[in-house]
Formats: sequence, C-alpha cells, structure tokens
Amino acid sequence: MMRTVEILLVVIIITAAFIIASIYAVLPLPRRVSPLNLRRIALTTLQTLDMNHDLSEIVFKPENDSAWGQLQIALAACLPPNIVYNFTVYEVQSGEGQTELYRLIKTVSNAESLGIASDASSYLVASSNVTFRVIPEKIGERGGGGTLYILNCSDANGWWVTGYTAQSLAADLYNLLSPYFKTTIMVQNTAQLGQILNGSSLEGETLQNAVVINTFGESVPIPQEYCQGYERQNEGYYPNVTYPYTRYCYTLGQKTRIHNWTWVSIVGYPLYYVSNTAVFWNQQNEWGIYGMQKTYQGGVNAFLQGLDNKAFQYNETKITDNPGVVYLSSQAAYYCNYYGIYPSPYQTSTRALSTSILNYYHLNVSLYLFNQVNNYIPGAVYCHIFQNETRTTGKLLALGLTRTPDVRLTALGLLSYYKPRLYRSEYTAVGTARLVVLQLGQVGGI
Amino acid sequence: MAGSTIDHLISVIVFLGALLLFISLFNQTLQTAILYQRHRNLAAKCSDLLDNMLLNPGYPVEWEGNHPIEWAKLNCTPTVFGLQDPEFTQYRLSPFSLMRLNYSEGEPVYYSKTGQWYSNITIGFGKFLLVPMSKALNYSTAARLLGINGTYGFRLTITPIVTVSISEEQPNPLILSVKVMGAGFPLAHASLSYCFITVDPTGGEQAYPSYRTNYDTTLVDDEGSALLSFSDFDGTSESYVLIVYAHLGGLMGVGYHEHVNYKENYVVPFISDFETGLVLLAHSWDVHQGANPAEITYNATFVMLTEDFELREIPLGVGKIGKLNYGQDPQHAYKNVTISTHNPGILVVTYRKSAQECGVVLMPWGINSLAFPVVFGDSPFSKEWVATDIRQVIVNDIAYQATLALWSYEGYQVVG
Repeated sequence: MMRTVEILLVVIIITAAFIIASIYAVLPLPRRVSPLNLRRIALTTLQTLDMNHDLSEIVFKPENDSAWGQLQIALAACLPPNIVYNFTVYEVQSGEGQTELYRLIKTVSNAESLGIASDASSYLVASSNVTFRVIPEKIGERGGGGTLYILNCSDANGWWVTGYTAQSLAADLYNLLSPYFKTTIMVQNTAQLGQILNGSSLEGETLQNAVVINTFGESVPIPQEYCQGYERQNEGYYPNVTYPYTRYCYTLGQKTRIHNWTWVSIVGYPLYYVSNTAVFWNQQNEWGIYGMQKTYQGGVNAFLQGLDNKAFQYNETKITDNPGVVYLSSQAAYYCNYYGIYPSPYQTSTRALSTSILNYYHLNVSLYLFNQVNNYIPGAVYCHIFQNETRTTGKLLALGLTRTPDVRLTALGLLSYYKPRLYRSEYTAVGTARLVVLQLGQVGGI
Repeated sequence: MAGSTIDHLISVIVFLGALLLFISLFNQTLQTAILYQRHRNLAAKCSDLLDNMLLNPGYPVEWEGNHPIEWAKLNCTPTVFGLQDPEFTQYRLSPFSLMRLNYSEGEPVYYSKTGQWYSNITIGFGKFLLVPMSKALNYSTAARLLGINGTYGFRLTITPIVTVSISEEQPNPLILSVKVMGAGFPLAHASLSYCFITVDPTGGEQAYPSYRTNYDTTLVDDEGSALLSFSDFDGTSESYVLIVYAHLGGLMGVGYHEHVNYKENYVVPFISDFETGLVLLAHSWDVHQGANPAEITYNATFVMLTEDFELREIPLGVGKIGKLNYGQDPQHAYKNVTISTHNPGILVVTYRKSAQECGVVLMPWGINSLAFPVVFGDSPFSKEWVATDIRQVIVNDIAYQATLALWSYEGYQVVG
C-alpha cells in the first residue's frame, strides 16, 4: 500500500510541475509569432511619401495648411486598413543655449491607441529653402575613365564663340566640371592634343573613356603633324578634294572610337574648320579669322565615318537643319534642378543633326538635351554601338545651337549623361531640418 | 506477500501510466514552443528575404560611364537575384527587372511564328505584356539564386498602391467616371492629369492609322471620384484610350480605360529582346485565332511620360507602320519595331481594317508605365504556415506595395 501512496505522491508532484510549467509557458498571440515588420513598413511609407520631396515640403508648412490634410489622406491610402498610425514632426534644434534637441511641431493620428504592439521609424527631412554643402561623386570612380580634357590650345582660333575666346570658355568649363571628374586636364596647345591623339597621356591620366571638350566652337585645333607636308599628313590631309582637311575629322572619329571618348561640340556645325595658327598663319576662314582651313559640311560626316569604322569617303552632304526655337527635354530640366545649373530652357537651334545619322552610323541617342523637332535633334549625346554588339565605342555630344555658346548647356549635357551623385554633407543649419516619426500599430484580430 | 506484490504491481502500473501521460503533455508544450520559434524564425526570414530582393540590383550590373545598367536590360540570366534600380538607393525598383519575372497568374501564350512561349501579363483587351519564357526569370532559378531552393517557397506580389478605375458613364457624348483608391481608403482631393487618345483610322503617314492626344487636369472629390466629359466625342463609334495619372502628397498611380470599335483582328505586341528593345507586332489571329480573320494595317508609336504628365513621342524608325496578315503570309506575318531607349514608356499601336473599323492596343515598356502588377513565385494556398511581410516601394515614381509570402518545406506541422 505504501508503494501506491508513494506513486500517488509522485503523480501529484509531476502534475503540480506540469501546471506550474503551463502557467509560465504562456503561448504568444499569433500576431507576435509571425509579426509584420512595422518598422520597415513605416520607413518605406515615409520614403514613398517623400519620393518627389512632397513630404519635405509639407512638414515645413504652417500647421493650418491644407497640405497636412493631403498628407493624412495619402498616409491612410498608403497603409493597409488594419494598420493605424501616429505621425509626429519635431524640429531639430541645434542653436546654442537650446535645452532640448527636438521640439514637437505637430502630431496627427487616426486612432486613439496603437494596439498591443507598435513600432516606429524616423526620417530626417530638410527644408527646400536651404542650400547645403554638397560633395559630388567623381565620374570615373566607378566604371573606369574619369579624365576630362578641355581644349585650351593657345595656337588655334575658335569660330562661333563670338564674345568669348576658346580659352575663356575653357576656364569656365574647368570651374563648372572639374569637381565632377577624377582628373581634369587643360590641353594647352596643339602639340599636347597630338600627344593624346597618339595615345600618350599628358600627366599619367587614364586616356580610355575620357571626355574631350572642344571649346573652339565650329573650329577644331589640328596638330602640326597632321597638316600637309608633315609626318602624319595621311591622317589629316586628303588631297584632290575641295576641303582636304576633312580627313583630320575622320581621324578624330577613329580616335574617339578607339579610346571610347566622349567628343563634345559646344555650338554650331561640328568640325566645320580646323585651326592651327602656326601652320595656317596666312590663311583665313573667309570671315577674316586667320589660322584656319575650312572642312565645311564634310567634317562631321568624316568624323562619323571614323567613329563607325567605315572607310573614309569624302562627303560634303549637309546633315543639319534649322528647327528654330527648341526646348530643354524633361530629363535635362530635371538635372538642371539636381545640379543647380539653370541655362535658358529655350534656345535657338540652327545646326540640329538629322536623325538619319542614327541608323547609318549605328548611333543611339542616350540623352536628349533638347526635345527633338521633326527629324532633327538640336542637342543630344549619341552613343556609337556596332551592330550585334552591346559595348559603346565612342560618344558624341553635339549641341547644334546658334552662336554664341552657353557652356552651362555643355556642362548640363555631360552631367545629365554621366549622372554623378551629389552627397549632401551638412544638415545642421538652424530651423532647416525636421525629424518625422511614423509609429504604426495593428488593429483587429488577435 | 501477495498484498505486497499487488501493491508493487499497482504502483508500477500507475507510475508508468502517469509517466507516459506527462511525457505526452510535456511533449505537446515543447512542440508548441518549438513551432513558435520556427514561425518566428520564418517571419524573420521573410523580412530578410524581402529586403534581400528589394535592396540589391542583382548581378551582372554593367556601367556606361557612371550610369549603371542592371541585368534585366542585358538579356542575360542574373547570377545574383535582385530587383532594385541600380540608379537609386533604398526601395526603388527597376521597372525592367520586374518585367522579366515570369508572371505566375497569367496563362502562357504560344506564338507559332517564333515557336516560343510567352509569359503573359495581360490586363484585359488591348493591354498586353508578353515576355518570352526564354528571357523571363523563372521561380526555380530565383529560388536557387536566393539560396532557398528546397527549403523555402515564396510568392512575391507587387501591386500598385493607388488604383485608378475608370468606367463609362455615358457613351455619346462620352462621359467617363474615374475612381481613385489607395490601399486602405479613397485618395480624396487627388489631382488627376489625363491623356485622352483617340484613333484616327486614316490620319497617319500613307493613310495608315494614327492617334490624337488631348491633355487636361482635374481634381477628385471627397470620395476619390471625378467625372470626365468629352463633348463632341462619340464613344460608341470611335476608338479611344484614357490614361489617368493620380497624384497626392507624394503618392502617384496610373489607370487606363480603353474602348475600341473593332476587336476581331488586332495587333499583339511581343517583347523579343530587352537589350535592343526589339518588339514583334503580330496578327491576333496567329495568337488567339477567332472569327473573320482579315488583313490589318498598323501604326506604332513609343511615348514617354514627361514631368508635366504629357506624353513625348520617341521615334521608332523602321517598322513603325506596316501591314499584318494572318495565316500563311510570311511577308506580313509579323513586323519588328525597336524601342531605342531604356526609359519606361508606352508602346501605342493603332490598327485598322477599314476606315470605320479600327482600334488601339498598348504595351508598357517598364512595368510602371501602365501600373501593371507583378505576381512571381509559387502559390501559397494549402501551405501549412505562411509568413508575410510588406514594404512600400517605388517603381519609377509610381507607388507600389511589395508583399512576400514565405513558407518552409522543412516538414513540421501545426498542432492544435
């Protein structure tokens, strides 16, 4: 009998142990077993609402502004019906003598309580009225390249740069663009230009994938060695035609392809003249500018032949037209705001390139700087891609606008194409930053 | 002696019985606790996996200058799965990566002229998105790239947050009703910018069909509704498309409505090549058959949305106008057009059989252009325990919600 009593005692002890264990081992609610990540939903909701800086604008508006109502509607529409929110805005105080870092500005909610569990995310927004110091990403930091050559040759003359000199335009472009490139080199004379055309760097920079800006307008500097009677005459001079120096433009196209350069023509008809004040000292361009030889309309044709690796064929056919007033494309207008470069949104184009060159020379328009007018493109970045290939082999940024040039358009075209990021580096100005906290909770169910 | 033996026997039997009973009871508690941990683990995995998909652009990514080009635009199968737009940080997705996911809910379409099957996201007549299976990323490849093949199953659903529904209130003169809804509530007082496209059967080059566009803006009321009137337009006899952009407080959505007066023969666009933007324009009879097959002519245009909600035309070049015939007419079986940009837009193809019988079909180039949804992966129905998580994402300015449903194949069961 004693054994049975002992066993009953054991059973009682185990039962008690089970009951105690069951009391403490409380099963969680299903919602806690498999929770929604409310913190992430809150963060992504704030990011969505700030997609076009709408949130940044609204939180700086007066408390009685109707935009707050719109924000509440957008929040309610954005979140699933079973999720309630509390949206709070704080001003970030950073002045001396401030006792608290955050001051409550406004709070809105669509429920009295956020349920049994909630989570929150915060998001710092900046006023659109403030200009912050920014650090630009350098072109070439990723993907190679990153050299900017600006033609600043002292022994060449420009055309259609009336009111400026090529050298003053080069200085302006240097100031505008050098922060965005790994290396910026001013090509000081035609001999240096010859050096890079021959594939030798000037200061140990990367030659491949470089950008070459011709600041000489419709004219382009030509190194002496490419002129008639010099050692590379065959690459710069084609005898027995009206404009023999079109051959030099063909060489430029070839070099652009071989080194995958982006050749930039800042104004007018690209490559209409070649210029070297030493070689052509007694020859002028029919308008009184000495040191030049005309290549006429065949210059750009020859350049495109070289770019497309076609055999050189002398061709004077005109490939531009005069569409008149043209407008910045929406993409360019967007990047005006992004980079803070504001040229006039409408310009006059008298040398817009024809779309017929696209198929014939295997060019793709990667960026429309101006809206296309009928079959003519007033300003764009053309990428050369051989048929059945995917790799870009040379690019041309051609701005077929009338004189005088606005180099901000050149800068805008290059930046819109390469899209270097701007990193904001300062958010500490007083009254210019607000902290938004979105707290979410779930209602309904268990 | 006998009493002692009986005492022992009874005590041993009671002890063993009690032991078995309590082992079973404790086991149940332990099993529930283990399940709890596993379910929590699954929820955490679901959240991590969703971020994995949405916060990396995948691989390969090529560079053109400082401009990254994601795998979806390169015609290749990715070696790392990711959907982020490489031009941005955070939850911004590439409209082209989403376009290359094999749509789970659509019935695949076979086109005999190319001998290929196509993944099918077709949202009613005239809104096609047909991607060759050979170029669409399938579920098993994605699962393998994510490292969950055989251990977890998933379904990724990406749906627009803002739904813009359009219905015809009155055909002549045409009055259309627009209703704008968010995920939870109406988008009251949202701004609407709309583009009304009408088909001109003989207005194009060489008397091919063409279209005309009219733009306007309005606001919706407290309930998210608005009526759009088009006086002098007869909706019974003429073909048209209305594309509406709704925006409020950072949210933006797209809706569209289409009416065509001739549906017996039309154009079906098939994407052929993502890298070059090659699209095949096929005759509908060769795809779906149907009654009264006939030759049709078409005029294709590619349009992009500008910042002021107007459509900017991008030239298509060779093949933009042409003739399509059904059956055995190899010369007119299908035509090729090339979309020369990787900026999202809409391919608008007007077609006609006669001066009175015409219509228009649309194809988004980039999933966001017409706010098409994406459903990718296995079905979660009848799975034992499914964890879900949500993120708000942006696909080229259109607000979407990404939902991942995840379940485990490890073989445990829910008890109780």
